[in-house]
Amino acid sequence: MIGDGRTAALVAADGSIDWLCLPDLDSGSVFGAVLDAERGGAFRLEPIEPFSAEREYLEDSNLLETTYSTSRGTVRVTDAMPLPLSGLAPTRELARSIEGLSGEVAMRWSVEPRFGYGRSQTQIGRRRGVPVAHAGADAMAILSFDAGEPQASGDAIEGQFTARIGAQGLLALSIAHGDPLVFSPRSAIERRTEETLDYWRSWSNQRSYEGPWREAVVRSALALKLLIHAPSGAIAAAATTSLPEELGGVRNWDYRYSWIRDSSATLDALLSLGCPTEGDAFFWWLLHASQLTHPQVNVLYRLDGRPGLPESELDLSGYQGSRPVRIGNAAAPQRQLDVYGHLLQTAWLFVEAGGVLSADTSSRLASTAGLVCSIWSDEDSGIWEVRGLTRHFTQSKMMCWVALDRASRLAADGHIPAENASRWLAEANAIRRFVSDRCWSAERESYMRFPGASETDAGILLPTLNGYGADGERERLMATVRNIRAELGSGSHLHRYRGEDGLPGEEGAFLACSFWLVDALGRLGEINEASELMEELLAQSNDVGLYAEEIDPVSGEFLGNFPQGLVHLALINAAVTLQQGSR
Amino acid sequence: MVSLPGALAGGFVGTLVLTTGLRAATELRLTRIDLPFLLGTAFTADRTRARALGYALHFVFGLLFAGVYYVVFTALGQASWWLGALLGVTHALFAATALVSVLLPLVHPRMGTPFSAAHSAPLLEPPGFLLFNYGASTPTVMLVTHIVYGAIVGAGAGT
Repeated sequence: MIGDGRTAALVAADGSIDWLCLPDLDSGSVFGAVLDAERGGAFRLEPIEPFSAEREYLEDSNLLETTYSTSRGTVRVTDAMPLPLSGLAPTRELARSIEGLSGEVAMRWSVEPRFGYGRSQTQIGRRRGVPVAHAGADAMAILSFDAGEPQASGDAIEGQFTARIGAQGLLALSIAHGDPLVFSPRSAIERRTEETLDYWRSWSNQRSYEGPWREAVVRSALALKLLIHAPSGAIAAAATTSLPEELGGVRNWDYRYSWIRDSSATLDALLSLGCPTEGDAFFWWLLHASQLTHPQVNVLYRLDGRPGLPESELDLSGYQGSRPVRIGNAAAPQRQLDVYGHLLQTAWLFVEAGGVLSADTSSRLASTAGLVCSIWSDEDSGIWEVRGLTRHFTQSKMMCWVALDRASRLAADGHIPAENASRWLAEANAIRRFVSDRCWSAERESYMRFPGASETDAGILLPTLNGYGADGERERLMATVRNIRAELGSGSHLHRYRGEDGLPGEEGAFLACSFWLVDALGRLGEINEASELMEELLAQSNDVGLYAEEIDPVSGEFLGNFPQGLVHLALINAAVTLQQGSR
Repeated sequence: MVSLPGALAGGFVGTLVLTTGLRAATELRLTRIDLPFLLGTAFTADRTRARALGYALHFVFGLLFAGVYYVVFTALGQASWWLGALLGVTHALFAATALVSVLLPLVHPRMGTPFSAAHSAPLLEPPGFLLFNYGASTPTVMLVTHIVYGAIVGAGAGT
């Protein structure tokens, strides 16, 4: 993945850019070959003859290198989305620098833009001799410098050139959205690319984690930074939509939005890594985003705050035939009680880090706690967004306890009004009794998914990480962790649950749960076991250190949207826990 | 006959009504727009101080716009509540498509723009076209409150 804090592109193992949405991450795709190789559009760049390719990020950066090896020589392509750090930068920009490393390698490239998920009529033309693709308010200029003469071929723009040792070429996309195209000279694009590399390295070097897994932690932080929507501070759950949780299945969702359930992990990770600026921006966004529905909180929000997330299906063939391809997300109007725990925990983390709550924010948080008192005893859809099924999910109840516990603490420290603090404490105790009496199975020695359930739920790990049971439930929590691993485990991986979820088919193991397990073991004092599991999990990232939402425990193939912010958040927080626990 | 003192008095009262109307719309969960807050945070990150400062600034801008209304009324040779309301429509469209949605983010040190990239971390989300980012009803709220503002200024200037 490369990106600029507004949108992100996915570069395939063969160097083809198969996913890019414009102008923002949750906008329509212009390159969507990952969801439809025929109609999605792509920016292909590769040797003409047979080749092998290896990828790696330039150290501590979000610039990606792909090195092609052929029988005639080797070529290195460096992909970047330059930040607008100098000069008159286009609205969005993508640069592909090509350098011949040895021999002579004949290269070919092809830009096949398909604006608006391929639904817009893309037209090809020329401006000042530069090939331009446009559709409505969107336009893209294809700039070639020592990388072959661009030729229009149907609805694509193509070129060929020979990369000789020491020669350097550049292909750049100058992108406009509702504004004129900018035709930057080569020197300006290269300068911005260099400045972008410097920026990423400087940012990475400021991260405070110095433990044994620094490379993985910094890579995760860099990936998260690309998922943060810079104009608002919101963080997207993933960069893609509809990458399937089951190959050929229907569990294909749009994750290019911001989930409240990720909020406490997000602020925790940002603060742990020494990113107070991003942490402040995220907290301000959270307060603004939730203002309209206050005291209720939506499950998810658009990155820029616009209303409405209607779910619809695209006429695309889907990743390896996995249909439907969805945009929007119908989970938005669901009731998930755990979000209140995450909201109050986030406020608690903000204050613990020295943040100050304004009077209106304090008042809002207090009334949110009041709402939790009224609704915690209701059924909800649960953290896993089970469709058409509501239950008294244990995880939701535990997070409601977290909400009221944090509200009580905030009130005790004078951060929010304390008039109703005694009620919050009383209701928190009532939740504790409910969970203890009805969600615990003496037979299985574990908290279960909901009262009377025959299966447990890996989501129960999350309240543990947010302080549930820290005051005297170690034995029960440890037993539950053991049962979760035994019941839902598959090697080093965990499934979310095994029971009914209202959808056909099955899914892979949920990678965030595996890192939550590491974190939980660490918090419960099992540092060695946690560290071993951490090592196993870190060995299972892709070739450049990124993780998807899920993994097939048998084949090791990634499933679901990619890269998944929640997994990288969980990785960072687990690493920090183990670092602190081993001191 | 067009009265400058009347226009300015109308501007003061109109801003009072406009600000109150926007606040009421916020409390009714119709919009997240808060013009005093947006103006005040240009000068301080302290939310409470920002709102207080923003109210003062909003009144200053309310009087300045009343002066602009007065110039238009003078050029037309007449002023009335309905002419003011018509100018209020133009005022609202200008605010929603340019003043607040485009110009304010460009000069506001704590507000994002569509061009904010990974190297920046603004604290306030940009309003977006027609201020839709602050809620689906925001354009309607802006239109209604500015029509009322314009009508009050027009009525004041016409006395």
